[in-house]
Amino acid sequence: MRGHFLTGLFFMCVVLAALKLFTGGGPLARQKTEISFWNGWTGPDGTAMLEVIRHFNEENPDIEVSMQRMAWDTYYNKLMVSAMSGRGPQVFVIHASTLPRMVRAGYLADVSDLFGSSTGLLPSDFESKVLDQVKFGKKMVGVPLDIHPQGLYCNADQLIAAGLKNPDGTPKPPTNRDEFIDAIKKLQKVGANGDHDVWGFSWTFWRNNFMALIPQFHGRYFDDNGNPDLVNPGNVAALAFMGDLMNHLKLTPPAESNAGWTGFRQKKVAMLFEGVYMVGDLQSLTDFKYFGAPVPQIGSQPGTVGDSHCLCIRSDLNGKEREASERFISYLSKHSLAWARAGQVPARISIRNSPEFKQLQVQYAFSKEVPYMIYPPRTPLLFELIQEIDQAVERVLRGEMTPQAALELANSNVEKAIARDKEENKS
Amino acid sequence: MSSIKSQSRHANLFVVPYGMSFLVFIVCPILFAAALAFTQLDLTSREHLHFVGLDNFREALKDPYFIQATKVTCVYAIMIVPAFVVLSFGLALGLQAMTFGRNAVRGLIFLPGMFNVVVASIIWRWFYDGEFGFFNYLLKRVGIMPIHWLGEKTLALPSIVVMSLWWGLGGATIILLAALQQIPTHLYEAAMIDGATSRRLLTNITIPQMRHVLLFIVVTSTIGAFQVFGQTFMMTNGGPDRSTTGLVQLIYDTAFNKYRLGYAAALSWLLFAMILVVIIVQALLLRRSID
Amino acid sequence: MKVRGRIAAIVMLAVAVVFLSPAVLMVFTAFKSPDEVLNPSSAIPHHWTLENFARTLKYSEEAPFAQWLLNSMLISTSVTFLVLFVSSLTAFAIARLKIKGSGKILAVIVASMMIPGQLFLIPVYLMLGWFHWLDTPLALIVPATAGGFGVFMLTQFMRSIPPSLEEAALIDGCSLWGVYSQICLPLCTPALATLGIFTFIGSWNDFLGPLVFMDSVRNYTLPVGIALYQSSYFTEYGKTLATSVLGTAPLVIVYCIFQKRIISSMATTGLKD
Repeated sequence: MRGHFLTGLFFMCVVLAALKLFTGGGPLARQKTEISFWNGWTGPDGTAMLEVIRHFNEENPDIEVSMQRMAWDTYYNKLMVSAMSGRGPQVFVIHASTLPRMVRAGYLADVSDLFGSSTGLLPSDFESKVLDQVKFGKKMVGVPLDIHPQGLYCNADQLIAAGLKNPDGTPKPPTNRDEFIDAIKKLQKVGANGDHDVWGFSWTFWRNNFMALIPQFHGRYFDDNGNPDLVNPGNVAALAFMGDLMNHLKLTPPAESNAGWTGFRQKKVAMLFEGVYMVGDLQSLTDFKYFGAPVPQIGSQPGTVGDSHCLCIRSDLNGKEREASERFISYLSKHSLAWARAGQVPARISIRNSPEFKQLQVQYAFSKEVPYMIYPPRTPLLFELIQEIDQAVERVLRGEMTPQAALELANSNVEKAIARDKEENKS
Repeated sequence: MSSIKSQSRHANLFVVPYGMSFLVFIVCPILFAAALAFTQLDLTSREHLHFVGLDNFREALKDPYFIQATKVTCVYAIMIVPAFVVLSFGLALGLQAMTFGRNAVRGLIFLPGMFNVVVASIIWRWFYDGEFGFFNYLLKRVGIMPIHWLGEKTLALPSIVVMSLWWGLGGATIILLAALQQIPTHLYEAAMIDGATSRRLLTNITIPQMRHVLLFIVVTSTIGAFQVFGQTFMMTNGGPDRSTTGLVQLIYDTAFNKYRLGYAAALSWLLFAMILVVIIVQALLLRRSID
Repeated sequence: MKVRGRIAAIVMLAVAVVFLSPAVLMVFTAFKSPDEVLNPSSAIPHHWTLENFARTLKYSEEAPFAQWLLNSMLISTSVTFLVLFVSSLTAFAIARLKIKGSGKILAVIVASMMIPGQLFLIPVYLMLGWFHWLDTPLALIVPATAGGFGVFMLTQFMRSIPPSLEEAALIDGCSLWGVYSQICLPLCTPALATLGIFTFIGSWNDFLGPLVFMDSVRNYTLPVGIALYQSSYFTEYGKTLATSVLGTAPLVIVYCIFQKRIISSMATTGLKD
């Protein structure tokens, strides 16, 4: 085979393998405890977290924390597969809403001992509804780092130009249903041939928008017996409002369009509902004045939806790793102001009350929603529930089904999933 | 090759390296997966693993999501496979006929295939964007309203088909071109002396000489079409309203988001059975191509 | 004929431009600032900037590019060599030696290609765990040799070539290995080179494998390492496209180096039958 390119290829492999052997095992000081930290913060928020980690590593020379981040879907899949064989990271992030499923799988350690005066993480520094998210029986399975509710984003310049301003010249966002509809009409700019140069408002991530409205209309996901109740009148009213705004009043871009967040950045959409974490995307734009406020009360009471990132520890850590992980988590919690700058509301009340936090306009405005914010429902089958809600909302917004019918279908599918899950997992 | 048969023992040795790899990394997982299809296994509550017989398959046949995904997958395959085979063959013929610049053009047609599916999908998702996508930018310049390529239920899947063609044609074209160039030129010379037209050359020489490789392209592109996932996932995430959710996405969802491994395994076997049937039908129709 | 050849060339050049434009646009956009990406007034950037690339390369403790590049080169080269070698051996046995059960073997191999890949993920992961190959290059190299694409493709190519040269060699007393290495392999060089390029690209772009079978950041392959920064919820197209350019550029270079080999020497030599 002399002269054939296959032999050349073979020699290349040998050379590369040698190179890898010489460089691959990067020298890591043996005395350092290595902590792997995984999460889904792939945007500028992750970059902010990297800075925090750099400082932690400097201040704690006996620990080396390395972060890995990837898109949330991929992240959860990889976490599951790794945890299955005990190879996962020592510290990782789980959304509060996803904790039930993870707890069921048995991957999370009890971190109750992290809450105490020795670490400075006092339970009193968290709202009870936030802390309840990590309580499972007698165990606490994570430390809430932040809260991220849905809120109202406005283009400040467009609001002021439309006359929606306070006496001092600052923008005045709508606070109730009438003001909201009025504002949209004032903000939109319709061209001569009927197409919109500027939309007053757009729906963004439909499911989140719907879930934000549900508490406002006294809606709910499960009834008092724990059975799915997606088709209750509150949910139907909230979904009807969404559909009407798009298809009857035609005050939002149509369902096929993806003008939501991108349109906002392009100044073609003046207001929208989105999570506080999106503010990081706006910070990189020049010449864009944005403004945040709570979601207007469109229903009969204020309300919005939100979630929390919780810092969790793998359940099978040895002493050194466990101690290092706990130190790292305490550090992150203490420095959650730096994290908040990237677009989060700190979970700790003391940090929320600090003057530095109050200077973060959007985050501070959204933090006012925390008292009445609700979390997604606590069920291990959250994914299935959310998928059905997704579809119901989509069908209504595309005008294919009435809210009542769509939610009935979703409800029956969720009932089936729950029944099947019960059947499959009966002991 | 009668003298070969006497060395058959040595001949079998040639298959051993691949055979070992195949056994370990294909056969064993298949047996595992085959068993899995008849069980219930939830990755988050593994202690409840138990045997359920044919229940997973029964559930699948009644599952509206499975039925819809099957429809989507079949429609996608029907849209793309004929176009793919015909276009790649056409491109290969075109390349063969070029008198200058063949290597450059071949490379350029192949370039899209070098992007991985994530990158290619992102490029085209950006192209198709309803607000600032390139296509709508062009339409705006000629005064046409923007089209929501990926937002309209009727347009989303065809738009993905176009992207898949851009992405995949290069590879098939290169293979077909290599096969074209292996056809001994004297066959053509002889036929032309006999006065054959170029169409005759195509049907009587080119296609028969290339039948093995053509079959290869047909089979692999069909398998690929039925297993479409990356593009639909990245460009529309299966939407709008599940109109681009194919079977592999459904399987992925079931296994890695709902953690129902047994059911996912059963769905995978149903998909396999579908592909097998289609390929067998194709092979029978092209019967003379198989030795 | 020459006129037809020229027309073909022009038509094909136009086709090539169509195929090329998305890639060109992508490269242009990678050099645009976020504002320009959102409101494009033209394809070519008004203000060329390297900020997208710079942002990608900034945090090297979580993005060891050199190591990733080495990993990708090592893994893809090894997979290519192994697949070419092992598949050609097998294809030779099936197409030429016509060993017992050839037809059935090929059918089984093709059938194995029809099974969705996700099904293999968890069993293979468990096996690799038992072998202690996880988080090493072996996890990505060895399972890749089991794919049926190479065997199928080479078998079909070999069937297209008349076996006369090999038969002659056998009559002359050549050993099986000799026929394989001295005659068959050189004859199949275009097919091998083509398969080689495909295999290299497929291995290079494999996403699920490195993601699931590797734990340490140090051991990722280049496209995976870069792709992990695809934002889940930010529309940073400029940065995303910049990382795509970085992840794909090495492939283009490799292709340019090896693409000459795909030209067949058959068309010129021909076989005198």
